[in-house]
Amino acid sequence: MKVLVLGGSGYVGARLAAMLRDGGTATPLSASFRQKASGPDSLRLDTRDPDALTRALEPVDAVVNCVAGSASAIAEGARVLTAAARSAGCRRLVHLSSMAVYGMAEGRLAEDAAVDGSIGWYARAKCDAEAHVGAFAAQGGIATVMRPGCIWGAGSDLWVGRIASFLQARRLGDLGIAGDGWSNLVHVDDVCRAICAALRCEAAGLRTFNLAAPDSPRWNDYFIDLALAIGATPVQRLAPWRLRLDTMLFGPPLKMAETLGRKLARNPRLLPAPMPPNLPGLWERHLQLDSSRAERELGLQWTPYALGLQQAAGWWLAQRSGRSRDEGVDLPRHDPAA
Amino acid sequence: MIADADQVAAGSVLEADVCIVGGGAAGIALALSLCNQDLKVLLLESGRMQPDAQTQALYAGEVSNPRLHSPPDKYRQRRLGGSTGIWGGRSVPFDPIDFERRAHVSHSGWPITYEDLLPFYPQANSLLEAGRFTYDAAEALGPGALPMIRGFASEVVRTDSLERFSCPSDFGRRYARRLRVATDLQVLLGANCTAVRLQPDGGAVRAVDVATLSGRRFSVAARATVLAMGGLETARLLLASRDVAAQGVGNAHDVVGRYYMCHIAGNVGRLHLNGPPADVRHGYEVTPDGIYCRRRLTIAPREQRRHGLANCVARLHFARITDPQHGNGVLSGLFLARRLISYEYGKRLHDGGEPSLRLYAQHWRNVVCDPLDTAAFLAHWALKRKLAQRKFPSVILRNRNNRFSLEMHGEQVPRAASRVTLAETRDALGMPRLRVDWRYAAEDIASVRGTLDLIAGELLRTGAGRLAYDPGTLEEDLVRFGAYGGHHIGTTRMGQDPRTSVVDADCRVHSVHNLFVAGSSVFPTSSQANPTLTLVALALRLGRHLSTRLARLPAHVKGCAS
Repeated sequence: MKVLVLGGSGYVGARLAAMLRDGGTATPLSASFRQKASGPDSLRLDTRDPDALTRALEPVDAVVNCVAGSASAIAEGARVLTAAARSAGCRRLVHLSSMAVYGMAEGRLAEDAAVDGSIGWYARAKCDAEAHVGAFAAQGGIATVMRPGCIWGAGSDLWVGRIASFLQARRLGDLGIAGDGWSNLVHVDDVCRAICAALRCEAAGLRTFNLAAPDSPRWNDYFIDLALAIGATPVQRLAPWRLRLDTMLFGPPLKMAETLGRKLARNPRLLPAPMPPNLPGLWERHLQLDSSRAERELGLQWTPYALGLQQAAGWWLAQRSGRSRDEGVDLPRHDPAA
Repeated sequence: MIADADQVAAGSVLEADVCIVGGGAAGIALALSLCNQDLKVLLLESGRMQPDAQTQALYAGEVSNPRLHSPPDKYRQRRLGGSTGIWGGRSVPFDPIDFERRAHVSHSGWPITYEDLLPFYPQANSLLEAGRFTYDAAEALGPGALPMIRGFASEVVRTDSLERFSCPSDFGRRYARRLRVATDLQVLLGANCTAVRLQPDGGAVRAVDVATLSGRRFSVAARATVLAMGGLETARLLLASRDVAAQGVGNAHDVVGRYYMCHIAGNVGRLHLNGPPADVRHGYEVTPDGIYCRRRLTIAPREQRRHGLANCVARLHFARITDPQHGNGVLSGLFLARRLISYEYGKRLHDGGEPSLRLYAQHWRNVVCDPLDTAAFLAHWALKRKLAQRKFPSVILRNRNNRFSLEMHGEQVPRAASRVTLAETRDALGMPRLRVDWRYAAEDIASVRGTLDLIAGELLRTGAGRLAYDPGTLEEDLVRFGAYGGHHIGTTRMGQDPRTSVVDADCRVHSVHNLFVAGSSVFPTSSQANPTLTLVALALRLGRHLSTRLARLPAHVKGCAS
């Protein structure tokens, strides 16, 4: 089976392409807007360009949509993709959505829970994209929507690197009530395995799967575990006002500086990373994805949390020591008794 | 979800799989552990989110000897979260020896072992926000941890264990959102349980009666009912429910309310450690997971057995606060500010009669002559306690000269004569009030004396220091403030024999097949440890028992069975 992976240079897309290639059952063709070198198994592609996309889809049996980015890249991209797949005769589609489609809902949610795109542009775009995929399935497509929680593992800048930096800088720690929400962490390998399983599906129609490891902890536990694993100790108990200060007061200027730094081609790492204002809301939200359907229907076996943590911390420590070697910086030594 | 009992239709009978009476540490831990098990759980809490004087007054009762025990409405909070609203946060597990039947501690021995409870301790630690379940100093603090007292190595007196401290977490505030989002759990606030109604044969609970202060009455019928009302109130409700069982529910052998224990605690002696003050860790340290913890002196289990001692710990403490001879501005400042401190935390600052003007003058002199220490203390207290989320647990003075007293906290031997009963008077809902008759015995004091003697002997033998105390005033030192407040233990004790216990190893009332008790009232013995961590662990264990016992059969099995 030949599979086109859109967003192939991203965290999930790259890992998925590698897994397909290594598995030997499928030949991946990796496409990305940011792809630098086009080789035999990768190409540079704007997923909002219908003609280019149709051409890319013609020789493949299935397409996996891992495109991230702006609202337009997500929602308009999905519309263009489903239309192009129909014209190219590619019936098999796996679309990476997000738990953001559940809006502000709390409690334990299965896939039949109501979707709500009213909380922000990202949720809106994800809901719109899902609607396009639904229409594609209704017209005879074999479509699968994945709704993962927070995708982590070695190499995850978003849910490991960024969190670890905040922990190291004591901008994050044990948040009490403000960190009592479920993390819904899901290992990148589990997401990729779920996608591989979905690609094997033969029945037309739409199937939707939540993806979060059943043993994924609450955010506080994750923060404390990761802090201990990377030696960012003693873990601080932070007051909610500290988070508000970080996101509301320091967030905007740091974000501007980061953007400016990128434009000037300076190393943005010289400044602390801004803490996005949506994160505190996520950390306190009591939403727990019920992923039992993925276990049942895709036969998914989850990477144990402890293993994921070990890999994540190992990656971050190695990356940091590599970076400090490059920059000639001495690493602070971890004193467990401190 | 959280709702108010005043919204429930009067006279209705609510149905549930599990009805938990009491939303304190045990009740909330149990309720949360039963979520997502396909069970309908109803939690009845007398209070609401905030303390309320009228509700709190339902706790008022009598005390046989006010010198020995606080009034029953002190050290308890009748609101969601219960007494975790005012607790100090010390979170220490019981020791394996506490569960053993010890020949030298009459009525000792639990029907379960330490290992039976062990699987539930880590989650209890987590709920209490007391960090990892590691209580060995080297393991918890890491390999670089310094000894408690350098140069003091003893196989008799151990210094390697820790006590950990919760924030202290108020369960009502901390877990309200978890309770609110749970779809299979309903919390009813303002719901006072006034009676347990048994089936005519007395073998099962038919329903529990509920009343609100505004006069609404309804009842709850559940497949299992759990009383989690605290060590005093659970006994009160059982004794007051007399319509089928004349002596009260579960009280056929007159055990309910008996064996009431607190802890034997007080400041004792004069300890002088040799070597520089930097070689002694008397205060709080912080573990990598960010938890305040403190070292203590314990007696090795083998030595407890050999010398016939009950379990007891000693902490390095400062001099008696009320005595201005200590010359410390911080302690004198605490004494002078004692009227601003709550009853529960100020009790040990009120040392008998009204202090003389001379005493006041001496304390003022201490404050004035020690301005730097006093200012530093106030700054630390403001930053690390008042403004902090995780609060510095208690007053610790700078160790200037290696001179301490020992703060003893010891197990009390269970005795049937120490008990709570019903008084003649009734509360606003018509419930008989409680009468507390707490007693201790000479063996409790002798056990602390034996502990002190072992500590003194080992300090002398190792050359680490000297401990002196006056055996003649020891009893007065230990009971000056009466029973240690807030630790209400043993009134529905756990055991195999219904003649000497109220609940079985599953915390089920022996004679009532669907009535359970969660809380420190089921502890047969009191340990050296504060009760909260262990009562939460026991509640979690009860939660697992109930979810197994009440699990619905899968549809296909049900079909086969019918």
